[in-house]
Amino acid sequence: MRIGTIAFANLKRRKGKALFLVAGIGIGIGTAVALLSLSGSLREEIGSQLDRFGANIVVTPHSDSLSLEYGGISVAGVAFDEHRLTGEDVAGVLRIPYRKRLSVIAPKLLGAVEVEGRKTLLAGVDFSSELRLKRWWRLTGGKPEAADDVLLGYDVARAVSAIEPLPGAAGRGRPNGEHHPASEERFRIARERLIVAGREHRIAGVIGQTGGAEDRMVFASLGHVQDLLGKPGQLSVIEISALCKDCPIEDIVAQIRKELPHARASAIQQSVRARTEAVDRLTRFSAVVSAVVLAIGALMVFTTMMSSVVERTREIGVLRAIGFRRTHIIKGLMIEVAVISVAGGVLGWAAGLLASRLALPYFTEAGAQIEVRASLALFAVAVALSTGMVSSVYPAIRASRLDPSEAVRHV
Amino acid sequence: MSFVVVENVGKTYSDRGSRTGATVLRNVSARLGEGEFVCLMGPSGSGKSTLLTILGAMNHPSEGKVVIDGIDVYALSDERRADFRSEYLGFVFQQHHLMPYLNAIENAMLPLATLRLGAAEKRRRALAVLEKVGLAGKASRLPNQLSGGEQGRLAIARAIVNDPPLVLADEPTGTLDTKTGGEIMKLFLDLNARGQTIFMVTHNPANARLAHRTLHIRDGALAPESDCPREQTSRTPADGLDSELPALMIDRSGDFDSLSGKPFGD
Ligand SMILES: Nc1ncnc2c1ncn2[C@@H]1O[C@H](COP(=O)(O)OP(=O)(O)OP(=O)(O)O)[C@@H](O)[C@H]1O
Ligand SMILES: [Mg+2]
Repeated sequence: MRIGTIAFANLKRRKGKALFLVAGIGIGIGTAVALLSLSGSLREEIGSQLDRFGANIVVTPHSDSLSLEYGGISVAGVAFDEHRLTGEDVAGVLRIPYRKRLSVIAPKLLGAVEVEGRKTLLAGVDFSSELRLKRWWRLTGGKPEAADDVLLGYDVARAVSAIEPLPGAAGRGRPNGEHHPASEERFRIARERLIVAGREHRIAGVIGQTGGAEDRMVFASLGHVQDLLGKPGQLSVIEISALCKDCPIEDIVAQIRKELPHARASAIQQSVRARTEAVDRLTRFSAVVSAVVLAIGALMVFTTMMSSVVERTREIGVLRAIGFRRTHIIKGLMIEVAVISVAGGVLGWAAGLLASRLALPYFTEAGAQIEVRASLALFAVAVALSTGMVSSVYPAIRASRLDPSEAVRHV
Repeated sequence: MSFVVVENVGKTYSDRGSRTGATVLRNVSARLGEGEFVCLMGPSGSGKSTLLTILGAMNHPSEGKVVIDGIDVYALSDERRADFRSEYLGFVFQQHHLMPYLNAIENAMLPLATLRLGAAEKRRRALAVLEKVGLAGKASRLPNQLSGGEQGRLAIARAIVNDPPLVLADEPTGTLDTKTGGEIMKLFLDLNARGQTIFMVTHNPANARLAHRTLHIRDGALAPESDCPREQTSRTPADGLDSELPALMIDRSGDFDSLSGKPFGD
């Protein structure tokens, strides 16, 4: 027999109370685990969405002129032909300390041109980086190769009758990048050539409908467009993708600003940003709710232990009288609480994980997962244990301070 | 030098409401020799239990000191005093105070829980004391499955499991009938015969007559020992004790022959 033996015997004797405490701590830990893993997996999902989204930093020239919008990005100076970005600036971006975090740098020159009688936005791009950035594009046809090859946005292609619906069998667009639930394109290229800005071009491919700005744009190689618009070496925008979940985007932006003082660098505002904020709020809410629930659990442990100590006054007095030290009394009570807390922690962790798995579909589309991580289990048990122990310190000390002769007389 | 020295002990319980506390003990001085069996008698409320808990190193006296085996008990720190209780004392409470959720052997083992001994050794010692008090066959019974006398014997087993040199007992026979009380008394005599010093509170003059000496307390003060009739305060040899003892007690032990005194129950 050791002090632990007595602690276990006491637990067994007061099963109801012990289970009540296990449930209390379990609910607290379960709530915390559920909320934390839920917001954690949402955060992760948003991270991978961000990665898929393409650019998260845009560099444009400083300009006071009216701006033209491109995909929610305001592109300064299109109307007033104020191009002050050049290839030098791309080199500048590559000089920032965080350059290793940048995965794609896509410079482009934009200009309004005439396409079969319509004003259309023409973008000169470096196709290899552009296609890496726009992973959701689905091309019908091929990648532009020659200088006068162009890619047409879906709306442009329709307007100039460059495509026609596929009869019968579905001709699939070439998937560019990983899985993307875009609508299936059912068309084929119906013409070869197109006059853009007064010059004949070959239609190399058509971008399947994206619902974005590119639907109404024409893409050609950067050098060619610079020639076409008479702006050699000039750029109107540099799109940059920093492909990482927890990128220090703001820091990268600050570094670019420092390197390119004449340009304007900004973190892109996307719908993802709004979701990120929502998840941030959920995370904060989770933290607050978890703290409150845990505090309630702690209070429960505290009051239960206090009443348990009062209830056991005489017993504690007897133990003291037969030679138990104060520390032995504290140890016994702490063993009891530790057993209860660990049980509550493990149970809460399991319940919280289950709850978050059940709740996840209501918060996100398919794809997001709740992983079973040992670190979270350890964390749950550690929090349970420390909550239980901390709330029992005072009751245990009270118990140990009981005067043995008085306590023995307690009725 | 005496084994136990009580020097001018006074005790005033501070009354929580009023300023004036109740003075329960006044200037109590007494000595117990090693191996002595001393009884304490006195009317209800005279301070017997208080004196016993003070001797038991668990109730700080308001005045005076208690020295046991040369150790000034109340000069020790609280934790050291707990160790002292564990090492030196066996305490038998009037109401036994057994742990209702532990079985007999576990109750007997309780004082060993804080000691660094192997589980097997603790068990062995607990079984040995259960044997001694005649409860070896009921080791796995819970206290409420034992009779009053058996509970008393279990309380004694717990008090002696750590083999303490001093055993303090507060009316261990108080609630028992004469026969069962006699069994308990015999146990104490047996322990005493093996060298343990015993200080026992009792209301029963027959028990007191079996002790070496009896102290009388009234209103918190000890009566001078000379006031007590000699035949009541000391045992004299060859008094035909055996013939008057309950048969059961004699059957249990041969030790009893070596003890002598007045017969039970006048
Ligand atoms: N903890 C305490 N606080 C206040 N008063 C106490 C306390 N313990 C004992 N007393 C008082 O001290 C007096 C002596 O009590 P004690 O228990 O020592 O008497 P006793 O001689 O053992 O009596 P009994 O034979 O009835 O057991 C009583 O009047 C009691 O009310
Ligand atoms: Mg009493």
